[in-house]
Amino acid sequence: MSNNTNSTNGHSDRDLGLWFLEQSRLGSARVPTDMDEDEEAPTELNTINSSGGFLVVSPDKLSAKYTNVNLHGHDVGVVQANKPAPVKRLVYYFEIYVKDAGTKGQIAIGFTSESFKMRRQPGWEANSCGYHGDDGLLYRGHGKGEAFGPTYTSGDIVGGGINYASQEFFFTKNGAVVGTVPKDMKGPLFPTIAVHSQNEEVNVNFGQQPFAFDLKEFEAQERMKQQRMIEKFSLPTVSHGIVRSYLLHYGYEDTLNSFDMASKTTVPPVHIAQENGFDEQDVVFALTERKTLRQLIRNGEIDSALGKLREWYPQIVQDDKSATCFLLHCQKFIELVRVGALEEAVKYGRMELAKFFGLPVFEDLVQDCVALLAYERPQESSVGYLLEESQREVVADTVNAMILSTNPNLKDSQSCLHSYLERLLRQLTACCLERRLLSGDQGEAFHLHRVLNSCKKARC
Amino acid sequence: MSLFWIVVHQLAEIEAMAASKKVITREDWEKKLKDVKIKKEDMNKLVMNFLVTEGYVDAAEKFRKESGTEPDIDLATITDRMAVKKAVQCGNVEDAIEKVNDLNPEILDTNPQLFFHLQQQRLIELIRNGKVEEALEFAQEELAPRGEENQSFLEELERTVALLAFEDVSNCPVGELLDISQRLKTASEVNAAILTSQSHEKDPKLPSLLKMLIWAQNQLDEKAAYPRINDLSTAMLEDPTV
Repeated sequence: MSNNTNSTNGHSDRDLGLWFLEQSRLGSARVPTDMDEDEEAPTELNTINSSGGFLVVSPDKLSAKYTNVNLHGHDVGVVQANKPAPVKRLVYYFEIYVKDAGTKGQIAIGFTSESFKMRRQPGWEANSCGYHGDDGLLYRGHGKGEAFGPTYTSGDIVGGGINYASQEFFFTKNGAVVGTVPKDMKGPLFPTIAVHSQNEEVNVNFGQQPFAFDLKEFEAQERMKQQRMIEKFSLPTVSHGIVRSYLLHYGYEDTLNSFDMASKTTVPPVHIAQENGFDEQDVVFALTERKTLRQLIRNGEIDSALGKLREWYPQIVQDDKSATCFLLHCQKFIELVRVGALEEAVKYGRMELAKFFGLPVFEDLVQDCVALLAYERPQESSVGYLLEESQREVVADTVNAMILSTNPNLKDSQSCLHSYLERLLRQLTACCLERRLLSGDQGEAFHLHRVLNSCKKARC
Repeated sequence: MSLFWIVVHQLAEIEAMAASKKVITREDWEKKLKDVKIKKEDMNKLVMNFLVTEGYVDAAEKFRKESGTEPDIDLATITDRMAVKKAVQCGNVEDAIEKVNDLNPEILDTNPQLFFHLQQQRLIELIRNGKVEEALEFAQEELAPRGEENQSFLEELERTVALLAFEDVSNCPVGELLDISQRLKTASEVNAAILTSQSHEKDPKLPSLLKMLIWAQNQLDEKAAYPRINDLSTAMLEDPTV
């Protein structure tokens, strides 16, 4: 037993365990996630600024019809979406269905800026672009079109999209990509449609109906392109060492032993550790104790875990108002609820949790814990996340970090909190987010969660 | 300093700022790093994916128990896959082919290149063991017909047979075929084919993510100076050079 008696460690900085309080609530639906789907997307046509008199928008605001007789180039019936195309994603896309090409079929689909002149075809003016049905040309910022794709008419489904990764507009006809053009416009861009001869009528689909175009596949291909480029980078052989340090950091001792055993017998044998710069001594610290405590907590045996902590690392549990003690008490309470010992839970809560009420950092979790009592089936409630395995894991991770922090050879208190793997993943996420921030917020962020759940069958 | 020079100096400063990249201090960057939300269970999944894909079956089993992470593939299939891989690594190619077919006969049926490489490896092992006659017979009967179907197979076959022309293979131009690396190459090809047949990615995700980190840092370099991680094995943040 490595009983650390001499280490209060001189760390006067804030309680390391507090960091885990935040972690403990990551599973809660009440905590906003940083997935970007908070951006509002277009849902209907904007009837307020559309060119009055030239076209009629249906009551559901999803179709437009030209009812006049067109006389010149300044009586186009133009209508924008009610919101600009969202930018924090890989691709934005919408479609129109040409219900009636009218007398001349002068329909257009495209993107325009907010200040667009609503009597002109998209593409004819600066800061706009449009794919026109009567000639199949693409117009970008002036009255002369460029060769682009086929014409389209009654019965066709035509789509317009923005690919933020390649910074291109693309258009489709009946589910197939027609072509792409560079997106040289800045600022919010509104999906826009135009009709310009008698009886022309189009329906617009902002995603409320399935698209004719396979957007998911298009996105997958786009991600694959990026992936192929990334795969070209050469990587020093660090993966094995990073996995190993992760197992060490969290005290997964049995896994580590199997991993090391297998590594010795692989052909060729994997050489790791010291030469890769891993500082073994620091993380092997108290490995067996950390493993034992993790097992106890994962089994829900919180009392035993507390007992062992008092015996081995009294300094960690001596302050009963520390984040670590708090999390352990919460977990004990949760375990009582899990087995249906509600009376005992109430008693325990009064004794150990009540004192944390009103303390800002603890309050959210206390409230969630107590809320468990309100439900007949707490698993299915909004605080059901507390009963998941991952909650035990967070508590185990807290204790693990606190034990690591008692290491007298510790150089950097941050190293107790984060494994190398986690630091690398944080850096990766932060780099991607920062780059997007500096690129006008355009494009997709990196989410580990999505990468893990994406394309199992993809052959990258 | 005259007012004129002060103005000139200030203008120069403004110009320099506009031209230079955004500078993110360590303090600001650490705050951004702290705000990133990474779930422990996702990291566990990433580690499990590595163990499973690389064939650490015992470690994967232990990790399932210790962390509660479910593997994304039936662990029993790892054992079979590793047995095939090991057989090739040890030069027991016939044994490996039999095992692959036991696992799923479609793997070799639908993958002529892999089948050819296994047969080629078999030829290499015969030559290594000095079984000249057997090797020749095998080359003519089993490999030559396949070479007729495919030009690149034919070239590889000729290269392999060339081993027979040299008494001291350690010094001959095609000697690398006898190297352990050739076995490992074939073994990892079989490994990948089996994983693919199990609808599993043939490579673990971790190395791709690490490459992505290198790429993402390079991309951000164009726009900003910020603390980088240059040594992946220590994950140490290094201050930006301004």
